[in-house]
Amino acid sequence: MAIAVAKHPVTNRRRRTRRLPYLLIAPAALLMLAFIAYPMISVLYYSLQDYNVTKPWRNGFAGMSNFTRIFTGDPRFWHSLDFSVRWVVVEIALQLVIGLALALLVNQTFVGRGLSRALVFSPWAVSGVLTTTIWMLLYNPSTGMSRYLADAGIGSYGHSVLSDPHTVFWAAVLAELWRGVPFFAILLLADLQSIPGELYEAASVDGASRLRQLFHITLPHLKDAIVLSTLLRAVWEFNNVDLLYTLTGGGPAGQTTTLPLYVANTGLDGHDFGYASALTTVAFVILLFFSVLYLRLSKFGGDRT
Amino acid sequence: MPRPQHRPRTARPAAGVALAAALALTATACGDSGSGKSGGEGSGKGKIVFWDNNGGVRTDAWKQIIAAFEKKYPDIQVEYVGIPIADVQKKYDTAIAGGGLPDVGGVGTAYLANMVAQNALEPLSDRIGKSGLKGRLVTGMVTGVQAAGGRGKEMYELPTSANQGTLWYRTDLFGAAGLQPPTTWSAFYQAASTLTDASKNKFGFTIRGGKGSIAQALEMMYAQSGIDDFWNGDKTTVNDPRNVAALEKYVGLYKKSTPEADLNNDFVNMVAEFDHGDVGMLQHNLGSYNDHVKAFGKDKVDGIPLPPSQDGGVRTIVSNPVDGLGLFKSGKNKAAAWKFIEFAASEPMNSLWSQAAGAVPANTGAEQEQWINDARPTKAAMESLNDPKTKIVQFPYYLPDWNTITKADTEPDFQKVLLGKMTAKDFADELAGKLNDAQADFAGHAK
Repeated sequence: MAIAVAKHPVTNRRRRTRRLPYLLIAPAALLMLAFIAYPMISVLYYSLQDYNVTKPWRNGFAGMSNFTRIFTGDPRFWHSLDFSVRWVVVEIALQLVIGLALALLVNQTFVGRGLSRALVFSPWAVSGVLTTTIWMLLYNPSTGMSRYLADAGIGSYGHSVLSDPHTVFWAAVLAELWRGVPFFAILLLADLQSIPGELYEAASVDGASRLRQLFHITLPHLKDAIVLSTLLRAVWEFNNVDLLYTLTGGGPAGQTTTLPLYVANTGLDGHDFGYASALTTVAFVILLFFSVLYLRLSKFGGDRT
Repeated sequence: MPRPQHRPRTARPAAGVALAAALALTATACGDSGSGKSGGEGSGKGKIVFWDNNGGVRTDAWKQIIAAFEKKYPDIQVEYVGIPIADVQKKYDTAIAGGGLPDVGGVGTAYLANMVAQNALEPLSDRIGKSGLKGRLVTGMVTGVQAAGGRGKEMYELPTSANQGTLWYRTDLFGAAGLQPPTTWSAFYQAASTLTDASKNKFGFTIRGGKGSIAQALEMMYAQSGIDDFWNGDKTTVNDPRNVAALEKYVGLYKKSTPEADLNNDFVNMVAEFDHGDVGMLQHNLGSYNDHVKAFGKDKVDGIPLPPSQDGGVRTIVSNPVDGLGLFKSGKNKAAAWKFIEFAASEPMNSLWSQAAGAVPANTGAEQEQWINDARPTKAAMESLNDPKTKIVQFPYYLPDWNTITKADTEPDFQKVLLGKMTAKDFADELAGKLNDAQADFAGHAK
């Protein structure tokens, strides 16, 4: 009996110790269940339903018909997917190259470096809608650049780069570049500053040129930062809604409609939440597949032990 | 035993990526439906929430009405929430699905059927019948609201005003060019051409190519063609050859007599472009009257109803959405909410509001106000409505698909027509096909 009494406090303490980690992660787990798992399951559920709030008599289980419609009878899906891919590839490539160039530049020591860094990073602090407003004013044919160019005899009055099918893509790309480049510049600059200076000194002593140092010291060191930043940015750009929605509304004639914008139009304007959920599910699978493939191909984190 | 320091390398980032990508899935997550929840009459006192469906433009007028109401009923407080007109339907849909509907809301007939289908609004015919508003509402607006609700004679909004398509033109520019007012279609197209000098940034007309383009294009088509019914049996007349010919003429103005930037024009941009001073004519409803007067003064701008299809012939105008106030089923203080609706629709308040909005008042008593005689475009619109030669083409606002078809589905196609990537006939045929399907679906359900 005396032995049993002596054992109890130890057992309780162990039990408490075992429970503590679960209690500590419980708030985070609950939040993730509420804000990530529930919406995911909800969307998956509705993707298998006919669910249009304005036609309740049609609502009900739809099986795979929403998915069949996506892949066999919806040219807008393929068009928006095609545009999304082009948008992501062009944006990420340009943002990475320009962001890297700027990061290398402001990593040098020169007079006014602090101001230069502030200027490079400042667009990142501007909200998406404000960014769009700035660019809409610039592109406005009555008050923007084209009017002043027309006043100077270059181009014609009333021309808008956002209305011209030949220029709208690059006009939108430019606006998004302005906002996206600082993200790469900040991230890469932070990683650049962790490269030991001795490596460059040794390389210089060995006669390596600046270009050779870039390819053999800088870029290998930045590899993980580049992989992570391009992946994150690619997902964000794929899901980009705010800039294109406010700048072009997906037009003209649907030319700048990304897949998420198409989802938003189908769900919010068309009230067809079942079909919009199916589109979202397809987008999710595409992003998941791309992300896993990208991480495997790039061997992210492969140099760490 | 030492614990492993790292999990397999790909698992962690892949899980992170999966979570990041999963955020995309939240976009269309739907909550529990809040539609059909019945509130209660309440005590007739306390706070009620009112959503203005065109917040910003008419906020001042509503603030005056609310102040007068609270003075008359000190036991009731009205919380005003201004919703931008472009977002109002989404706001209502979100609130119906997830809760948070107001007690009273501004509701237009363009989306009334959607809200009735979702069982969000209280039927109002009985309340109107027992109120001082009985027999004091313009008959055309009452029938418009009844038709848009799609439930027989029942009314799901109390009409407060109606609008009408108007051809706005700069009298000073017309005078300087020696042009007559565009009271005929030939005069309209002639003026659009004459007033255009792209090299000097002068354009005869501004077209609506962006959001809201379809209703406006349909208005121009029916006004020119003279077809006075939207349906021929169970098929729409949208793709009637006369309408297709009218559409071809209308879209032919793009870039010839309009700025190229019009392709993306919503009503805000279109009105701003006209008010900027470089454009001679604009087709928009009466609601922009005050903007034009503010920009040019009363002497340099005028508005007339769209011309009749033929000189001296029948004038066909489309049924513009009737604006009104809806009482929400979920409200817990419907007695107080109804008092507010009744007060806002009373003669002096309806007159005050309609003058600020530049609209035709629904209260018959307000029709005699002096400001209507002073506002030429509003008076002309009312005269044309009462003209026996005027035929009204009723848009099928009762179709739950109406807004979807005429916005999300068709606006990009209209831009294709403007860009020459789609013919007017293909556009009209495609639109007609969707409308016929929606009508058949609705008729099948109604049975």
